[in-house]
Amino acid sequence: MKMPTARQRRLRTILFWAVPAILLLVPLGTNAYTQFIVNGMLISTLVTLGFTIVIGNLGQLAFANTAFFGIGAYGSAILAAKLGVPWLLTIPIAGVFGAAGGFLASAAALRGIRSYYLAIITLAFGELMRWSYLHAKPLTGGTDGLPMPRETLFGTSLTDDTVKFYVFLVVTVLLVKATANLLASRFGRAVMAVRENEVATASLAIPTSRVILVTFIWSGFVVGCAGALFARHIGHVFPESFGMLHLIASFAMVLVGGLGSVLGAVLGAVMLTALPEYLRAFPGMEELFFGLIVAAVLVALPMGLASLLRRLSPIFVERFYREAR
Amino acid sequence: MRKITALFAMLAFAAAPAFAQDAGWETQGLTDDSITIGVMGPFSGNASSYSKAMVGMMAYYQKINDEGGVHGRKLVAVQEDTACDSAKGLAAAKKLISQDQVFMLQGNSCSGVAVALRPVVEESGIPWIVAQAVSDSISAPLARNIFHGVPTGSANGRAMASFVLSKPDTKNVAIIEHSNDWAHSYSDPAKEYLKEQGITPSLELTMERGQTDATAQVLQLREAKPDFIIAALYEAETAIFLKDLKKYGLGEIPVMGTAGTDLENTLKRTGDFDTVKNYFVIHSYVDNLDGPKMEKWADMIKKYYPDEELSTFSFVSIGSAEALVSALEKIGPDLTRSKLIAALEEVRDFDTGILSDPITWTPEDHQGVKGSAVAGFVDEKPTVLKAWGQPY
Amino acid sequence: MFMQLTLSGLAQGAIYALIALSLTVVYRSTTVVNFGHGDFVMAGAFLSYVLVVLGGVAFLPAGALAVVAMFVLGVLFNRGLIRPILGGPHIGLALMCIAGGYVLRGIARMVWGREVLPMPPVFDMPPIFFGSLVITGDAIVIISTVLVLLLCFFGLLALTDLGKMVQAVYQSPRGARLIGLNVDRFNDVSWGVGAALGALGGILVAPVTLLHPDLGASFLIKGFAAMTLGGFGSLGGAVLGGVLLGIGEQYAGAYLDSSLIEITAYVIIVLVLFVRPQGLLGRKAVVKV
Repeated sequence: MKMPTARQRRLRTILFWAVPAILLLVPLGTNAYTQFIVNGMLISTLVTLGFTIVIGNLGQLAFANTAFFGIGAYGSAILAAKLGVPWLLTIPIAGVFGAAGGFLASAAALRGIRSYYLAIITLAFGELMRWSYLHAKPLTGGTDGLPMPRETLFGTSLTDDTVKFYVFLVVTVLLVKATANLLASRFGRAVMAVRENEVATASLAIPTSRVILVTFIWSGFVVGCAGALFARHIGHVFPESFGMLHLIASFAMVLVGGLGSVLGAVLGAVMLTALPEYLRAFPGMEELFFGLIVAAVLVALPMGLASLLRRLSPIFVERFYREAR
Repeated sequence: MRKITALFAMLAFAAAPAFAQDAGWETQGLTDDSITIGVMGPFSGNASSYSKAMVGMMAYYQKINDEGGVHGRKLVAVQEDTACDSAKGLAAAKKLISQDQVFMLQGNSCSGVAVALRPVVEESGIPWIVAQAVSDSISAPLARNIFHGVPTGSANGRAMASFVLSKPDTKNVAIIEHSNDWAHSYSDPAKEYLKEQGITPSLELTMERGQTDATAQVLQLREAKPDFIIAALYEAETAIFLKDLKKYGLGEIPVMGTAGTDLENTLKRTGDFDTVKNYFVIHSYVDNLDGPKMEKWADMIKKYYPDEELSTFSFVSIGSAEALVSALEKIGPDLTRSKLIAALEEVRDFDTGILSDPITWTPEDHQGVKGSAVAGFVDEKPTVLKAWGQPY
Repeated sequence: MFMQLTLSGLAQGAIYALIALSLTVVYRSTTVVNFGHGDFVMAGAFLSYVLVVLGGVAFLPAGALAVVAMFVLGVLFNRGLIRPILGGPHIGLALMCIAGGYVLRGIARMVWGREVLPMPPVFDMPPIFFGSLVITGDAIVIISTVLVLLLCFFGLLALTDLGKMVQAVYQSPRGARLIGLNVDRFNDVSWGVGAALGALGGILVAPVTLLHPDLGASFLIKGFAAMTLGGFGSLGGAVLGGVLLGIGEQYAGAYLDSSLIEITAYVIIVLVLFVRPQGLLGRKAVVKV
């Protein structure tokens, strides 16, 4: 893999900010429907990003992503609906709730529950959370879910998808940038080292436990914030939104985009959020198409769409990125 | 910073026209020979058996079209899949409203999705006839443009409970249900009605979707010895539950089911009359599914969808489609959205010939169907009932 | 009540055991956990339905045919989709299994999307009463079929060299290759056996329950819980775990609260992994760093 030159790195920085700047203009060309889908893409981007740093960069088979997402969404909805906290404020708080979930998941990993064991225990964690949303009725509204209160922002109602878009965009850009910076730092190198060989990494006096803990917490934070966005996106939080199907969807986004790559997370989220909309013309056949497409990508492009771009130009090579084995 | 604010203001300004309701809005989705109607339903996903309701409704549209349409306009259904998922359903609604720009909406199963859609549709102002989902909170409090064309959860739940209590000496009632919004939309109003009559359920059990065995639940029922059981379960679980009841010798206890199941198909699924002989269901129709008064509707669906297996869902949305067509006819060729809403609010005691109770929409109350009949086996034949032992 | 719960738990547990065993067979040979296994279970049930109801075949030969067909499907799935990416990240394999399952479910949905299908009753015999204990035909058929099958399965492993081969491939595929084992073919067969056993689980539950495309979803997690409880990767443990899970669900549902049936499996997973990660019969599972 060729590394980017200094000039290409500068170009990359410009690109990084140019993309969201151009995105600011998106609402000019959308209607309420397409805007809603674009908003969904931003949320999926964060969910995928949080997922990929754990399963891709850290190499841990933890499937607690939907749990973080649900914790964030319910956290935000409960704060907004029961305590009257303005939604904008609930975003970072939901992130902290998600981070607490990440801390719990890392506790399993740090107890030595790894590989498929970790996969299964985190799956169970997610389903237990969903069960609690259903049965903690006074707090979560049970099966009826929790409606988000009506609110205005900059004088516009928060049912308006354009207003939501700008908030979502700012949150997404900030979190994507922060995650990219984190992964390009010394810490990112340590994360990758833990994935490649935990024992060797520990022998270099790198505190591997802390690396695992922080990665999980950051993943929980990012996905928790996404949960708060989702609560506003739908306007009503239901337990069904946090089941296995959604986990599988974001799992596919990670792999189709490219495991462990920030760029891949964005690509995967955008592509696989758009895909079902194109498949609307074939109701009842989504599962079939979804299965076939994912299988085809896995065989033909095992490192996802991001690997195509990397081959195209070194601009897209991420610092410390190594393809997983 | 000021530049950014200015940019935001510009963008907001640019986006504003999309939300303004100009003159063309009133007739959006209309041409001289067509009325486009957005039909949302769970055409995929694990609740797709509900979408039979939309199929029946679209068969009715086609029948009207074959008869020349309404004032020369054909009813053109634009189908969108909700997969019974709120995010997907919202996308479907927004697509129909802002991209396909349909004249109105009719349909939607899955109460959760409908509840999530309500603010969006209400804000858009376009007429929506809810044709299958039952949750009361879709249409109450009143939204000017949202009409409920089937008995709501509270109507059904109360009908269930009052039927249960119409059996002499019913004191001990048990409830078994899924823990989802669908089941609760029946069981909550039923419990409320029971409470008004001074009865608290002796046992409240859950049986989740996908469970293949109800032994644990049935054995608890065996201890509690209820006079009547209210079961808010989907098709598959209903069959399993009834089989297990009979297996453990409780086949004599009557069971009250929801509109989510019907007698004919439950019998087919259990394959044994003894298992279902004491099963009763909410039945919103004037006759048995295979009775003479329903035959023409069944033939109609079969004509346009020959491969469609009929169930209780197939017929549920036809009644409100009739009410719609009658309102459209009254308005005349000069149709607008406001006129349609006004005309729907004038529907009084509209006998659909298919629903057991008439449809009445007033400016104060858009929950059009206030009651539901019950069906049970009498002399081994499915029979529509008003109360215990009283034919409809 | 206690005996009744135990009996029906045994019947449920027998199915879980079969599914956990089939997951373990695949895991031991290829170290792949088939996250799409629930849909293989569903596919088995649907195949037998097609043969019985549409093909007019009797239940027993139909079931046998469906098992053979699923064996072939398992082999093809391994050859076509798993083997090409076997060297890649584990996570890709997990997703490939899910994708394969989605394709199966998608096909079922396309054909029977809006129906809930009844399987004609096959174990129809009058129940036997022992006091208040009811023994039904389906409980007898399920338990005895699984029992016979397990005896054959473990007998084959214990009495032939097969057991040693399984162990050899599990411990070191390269080593096994060096001593002349055809590891690729061995993997094919394992996938075939895994798919066939899972399908058999589906075929056995089909007459008791009803058929719909989402039939398999809940079985996957039950299989995982059974494997975890018995000890991940242990064949005997999978069976033991399955049976205990089946009985445990019944006790939890009847003596505690019926809403707990759904999460018994999850609670077991979490408790076992925190308290005794190696399960009942498994080896050490915790990684010490």
